[in-house]
Amino acid sequence: MSSNSESTSRASAPGTHEPIQLSLGSWTTIAVVLLVVGAAGFFLALWMGLGARAWQAYLVNLLFWMSIAQGGVVVSTAFYLSQGRWAGPAQYRLAEMFVGFIPLGFLLFWGMWLGRAAIFPWVLHPVADKAMWLNAPFLFARDGAGLLLMTVLSLWFVSASRREAVREWAKTPNNIALPPNIIRRLSPALALSYAFVYSLLAFDLIMSLSPEWRSTLFGAWFFATAFWSGITAMALTAVILQAVFGDRVVFFSRRVQHDLGKMVFAFSIFWVYLFFAQYLVIWYGDIPAETFFVVRRSIMPWVPLSIAMLTLVWGLPFFVLLGRRPKRTPKILGTIALLGLIGIFVEDYVLIVPSLSPKVIPYGWVEIAVTAGFLGAFALCAFPGLRRVVAASSAPFTPAGEME
Amino acid sequence: MSEVRMVASFADEEQCVHTIERLLETRLRPRVFSPIPSEKINEALYEGRSHVRGWVLSGGIFGALSGFAITLGTSYEWGLNAGGKPIASIPAYLIIVFELMILCGGIAGVLGFLTNARVPAMEPIEGYSPHFSGDRFGVMVNCEESDSARIEALFKDAGAADVSREPLPATTVSPGHGGH
Repeated sequence: MSSNSESTSRASAPGTHEPIQLSLGSWTTIAVVLLVVGAAGFFLALWMGLGARAWQAYLVNLLFWMSIAQGGVVVSTAFYLSQGRWAGPAQYRLAEMFVGFIPLGFLLFWGMWLGRAAIFPWVLHPVADKAMWLNAPFLFARDGAGLLLMTVLSLWFVSASRREAVREWAKTPNNIALPPNIIRRLSPALALSYAFVYSLLAFDLIMSLSPEWRSTLFGAWFFATAFWSGITAMALTAVILQAVFGDRVVFFSRRVQHDLGKMVFAFSIFWVYLFFAQYLVIWYGDIPAETFFVVRRSIMPWVPLSIAMLTLVWGLPFFVLLGRRPKRTPKILGTIALLGLIGIFVEDYVLIVPSLSPKVIPYGWVEIAVTAGFLGAFALCAFPGLRRVVAASSAPFTPAGEME
Repeated sequence: MSEVRMVASFADEEQCVHTIERLLETRLRPRVFSPIPSEKINEALYEGRSHVRGWVLSGGIFGALSGFAITLGTSYEWGLNAGGKPIASIPAYLIIVFELMILCGGIAGVLGFLTNARVPAMEPIEGYSPHFSGDRFGVMVNCEESDSARIEALFKDAGAADVSREPLPATTVSPGHGGH
């Protein structure tokens, strides 16, 4: 990344410099290359008869990157609903940074129609007593409608969030004024829709891969995981920006890093809480119709990945970020955030792939290529939002509680 | 040598903080009264962390160990087989362990706070005045009679609304670190 700002770095309160105009030329090239490699790898895998692996990787990546994008937007609604203005407009731009991927994710979802037979076992082998719910046309219709609703609401909400009046409200933390009306109407609508739609996605796109299994809390666990992945991506981005731009951005403030670290810490606990709430009931009930899903992921070859998932998403964030100082240390917070995102990817992999490939872990050039392609697409969608984040975080603002 | 008690009252938090810093430079440790919780006064007065953290950690560890002791002890004592589960059903016991950890940690934290804050104060706090619970910040320091004029000048330079002076009996001990 390079900065076109002519401001010189000086020791002063964060965010008191001229807004930085970000140039991402070389990074855009890299993202395009990744996208091309990914697309080529995906189609090559289909041509070579590796369609099952290609579509599994497609589904894992679609859910992973969509979770970050949508989770981030919902984090912004949470900020508005709680009237949080601890980092001013920058915290909202940071949360909404990935919104560009949501429409693309909606389109990529429809791409799965072509691979539905490879992804969903009940397409070729229908489950008789669930055929009314688990059939491809109905699934794609309802999930497509849900994702369309989320896309429209998210874009509308982010557009409203960027309005002058809303940005002015976010700049003034020392009053009890409510956000503008448009935000007060859209935030709860978006949050409630998110809970409903992402629960539905979890049931249809993950749980249905093992059609005999069910867990009532699974949908809530999935959208809580997506919320956390949004927060973690925000924390990682903030750490990177403060490393690049120093005290020219508000994320340089230790107080802001502490706030982000606290959210990473707290919601990883919420994640393990929902995980354990499901696990304990299944373990204690010991009903074969419920336990097979967990057992399959608790034995070889999947158990190392399952342990990695728990460690990266809960173990490390909890024990490392327990103290005050690690949350305020950028390198520690950034490392935990990066490992957390890897953990979420592993989680999506462990939830999806064992249902389709219980005895073998499919991993190789196909999965790497597809992941690279999605990474490139996600980056290209996120770059416009990143420019807004850098501009907003370098505008004058003193974080709440900082000495003026 | 005779000592005096000097008490200054301030209407402004910044003036109070400035006074604290000036007094600490002269190696005098003041007792401070504040009508509001003030992070600035805390930062000026204290280096290092509160000891209450240790109380909470100790209580939490004790609670967790107690949770394991209760659950595992009673399970092995009775030896009942419930649905083919192991006698020691650790996943289920984690809930009790967790709750006791939080309970004991919380109680220990309250006890630690009361101990470190020396609450309740059974005797009147020297230097206290009711308007320090209203709209004034108070700074009290015991000093030698010969230093009192300098200290009074320091208070007035910092913007003290008023300064009082009270001679102390010969056996009085300086406030030290406690009761701030």
